[in-house]
Amino acid sequence: MPLIRKPPPGNTDSTAPANPAGPCLDALVGGDDNARWNAARAAPDTPEGARALGEALGRERNPRVREAILTSLVRMSTPEGVQAVLPLLRSDDALLRTGALDALRTMGGAVRPYLPPLLHDADADVRLIACELLRQLPGEQATPLLCAILDTETEPNVCASAVEVLAEVGGPEALPVLARCEERFRGIAFLEFSIRTTIDQIRSQVSR
Amino acid sequence: MPVFAALTEEEYRRLCDYLYRRTGMVFTETKRYYVERRVVERMTATGSGSFPSYFARLRGNMEGEIERFVNAFTVNETYFYREDHQLQCLSRDLLDDRLRASGRGRSIRIWSVPCSTGEEPYSIAMWLLENWPLVDSCDIEIVGSDIDTAVLELARAGLYGRRALMRLSPYLVEKYFTPQGPETWKILDDLRESVRFTRVNIVEPGETAPHGRFDVIFCRNVLIYFDDASRRVAAENLYANLLPGGYICLGHTESMSRISPLFDVRRFADAIVYQRPPGDAHG
Repeated sequence: MPLIRKPPPGNTDSTAPANPAGPCLDALVGGDDNARWNAARAAPDTPEGARALGEALGRERNPRVREAILTSLVRMSTPEGVQAVLPLLRSDDALLRTGALDALRTMGGAVRPYLPPLLHDADADVRLIACELLRQLPGEQATPLLCAILDTETEPNVCASAVEVLAEVGGPEALPVLARCEERFRGIAFLEFSIRTTIDQIRSQVSR
Repeated sequence: MPVFAALTEEEYRRLCDYLYRRTGMVFTETKRYYVERRVVERMTATGSGSFPSYFARLRGNMEGEIERFVNAFTVNETYFYREDHQLQCLSRDLLDDRLRASGRGRSIRIWSVPCSTGEEPYSIAMWLLENWPLVDSCDIEIVGSDIDTAVLELARAGLYGRRALMRLSPYLVEKYFTPQGPETWKILDDLRESVRFTRVNIVEPGETAPHGRFDVIFCRNVLIYFDDASRRVAAENLYANLLPGGYICLGHTESMSRISPLFDVRRFADAIVYQRPPGDAHG
């Protein structure tokens, strides 16, 4: 006999499956919060899931359901999923932009083809986020892209984002580019400081 | 064994920044010797000739290096009453709160996932028997789950060596175990029957959902090993497996706040845990 008294057998509320079986994608449009949450979680297992999630993402206002949509898109990590998330990078809502960035940086190789246009986007905020996405790449792939930004970018905040990523992934080939960037933005204290710190970090490897 | 110079200040900072971002583990200057020793161990094991080459290997997760590196920092073994401050929190605060709030009478469901060879779910059972006054008046279901069916078989067998019992008093060992030779103890059948073991992959919603919803989930020292995508999916699955107002306990180096915005942080006297918002009935 068990030392601990177990619940009597039977399907109570808590022992029922955590997700009701078979919620349909239509619930993403017309369902209540509960139904949309379940439909979003089930969508990756349906053929039209990516399209439905993409459409739902743009109109969804409930943060928890939106989180479920983004997580399902991350699970799929398809080009359709990436394309559904990208417009959120331009949202005026900082929470949405952050949510999109978090999702994109976990979507791995599916995001890679979209990075070059993002790095040249007309919107500086999008370019700044694109720099952060480069952090997921191997150092030898990320460094040339980041160096190209430092040589051409006009916005100090975008450069600062690139410098921060270089501090983690950069090698000695970035040193002359960092020095040129420091020269271009002489007088902008936060960027000068960031560049000096990153140069010191990379130099300490080179000198060993 | 090759001898490596210590990390430079910049290298140490670079490593710590990366570790925090990737795993949530925080190391300050006071931990430098501790960190450096493990870095040198891993550099030696991987044949990396310099810190930059090792760091590139770590970042690229070559041959599963992230898991091996994290293993070097964590106590990669399980034993009875491990991190018992969370068990203290369970019996002092969480269960009473759940009984008050759940509206399901005197019924409690607890999930230990991953449970490995069973020390954690059996510890929960023993702890409640010893420390929770309401244990005999409640219906309590304890489920232990793991992805590895081999460890689940060991959990069901309930045989343990001396190291697994090292935190237990002689009183508890005598009360809940019977010796099976000089170095092996078997957990009492009556206690074994108090825990149900199942297989589950926590990043597969189709596998987690059938387990139903729980009042408390112990999910310790596993999310730290996942990549960002798997961690995100696992967190959402665990959220779906919690009753509204239910709690999740993570390992002491882990933080749900860095993984998912779905949970509220709750600070109790004995532990920090995460709660599914009580008013949220999603899923």
